[in-house]
Amino acid sequence: MSDRRHLVGHAYTPYTFPVEHGKVREFALAVKDEDPVYRDAGAARDAGYRHLPAPPTFSAVTSHWAVRDADVLRLDLRRVLAGGAEWEYLSEIVAGDVLTVRSRIADVQEKTGSRGPMTLIVTEHDFVNQHEETVLRLRSTVIELGEQ
Amino acid sequence: MPATVAPERRVGPLTRTDFVRYAGAGGDFNPIHHDEIFARSAGYPSVFGHGLLTAGILGGYAASWLGRRNMRRFTVRYVGQVWPGDTLVLGGEVLRTGTGPDGGTEVEVGLTVHSEAEGREPRLVLRGGATAVYPARALARAAGSRA
Repeated sequence: MSDRRHLVGHAYTPYTFPVEHGKVREFALAVKDEDPVYRDAGAARDAGYRHLPAPPTFSAVTSHWAVRDADVLRLDLRRVLAGGAEWEYLSEIVAGDVLTVRSRIADVQEKTGSRGPMTLIVTEHDFVNQHEETVLRLRSTVIELGEQ
Repeated sequence: MPATVAPERRVGPLTRTDFVRYAGAGGDFNPIHHDEIFARSAGYPSVFGHGLLTAGILGGYAASWLGRRNMRRFTVRYVGQVWPGDTLVLGGEVLRTGTGPDGGTEVEVGLTVHSEAEGREPRLVLRGGATAVYPARALARAAGSRA
């Protein structure tokens, strides 16, 4: 396993994506969330939103938009597990917003656990809306298990 | 303010189609979640659900319990895989109540997801938490409307 600790601080190319009405609906369906605010703009407005709000883990949809940078981590997908994530909600995100995402590698740790050697990689993402307001911070951890 | 213990919610049984639908919605096409041949070559008995699918289902549950506009923080740590046929059992309880930054009430909760399947003991698959804030103003207004 190659040591990837030198990658801490690596910044990915920022990108911008629109929060789409249909994508909010599709995502809420996929996570089996039946709250009407995710499908009915009227219900969303009655609940005090400007438009359909983004579900709590909607940040996942950025996989569709992220710039395909050179693969600095070179993860082996057979050995990759999701470790965890932390979302910090700073302000509202609704359909029609345009978000810019800035991501960087925040931490790389080589560890030995019950399943042998593993690498923990923490990535931080800041989401900034069209009014230059940071609306969401996400910290996510992936684990790559060592080769058997 | 949320009830001290969240009402249990059961979701499932989850199918391969649920995993594929999540892959499309979220955009994570790691074949380990939809390609049986690939998953077996990696040493797993079958495909398994995205961690973020379980997290997404739990996020909706937490938001409906705590009030989605009150939620300030949501965390998940994955501790086990979700297999096709598993039913998720979601739970939550208040761990701590204190004063928030603007004089309101800040509530910290613990969240769990267990996976159940026929013929198997329920397994913990995700441990999570959330922080929700209830402004003093809103509480005063709510109290006023009850008077």
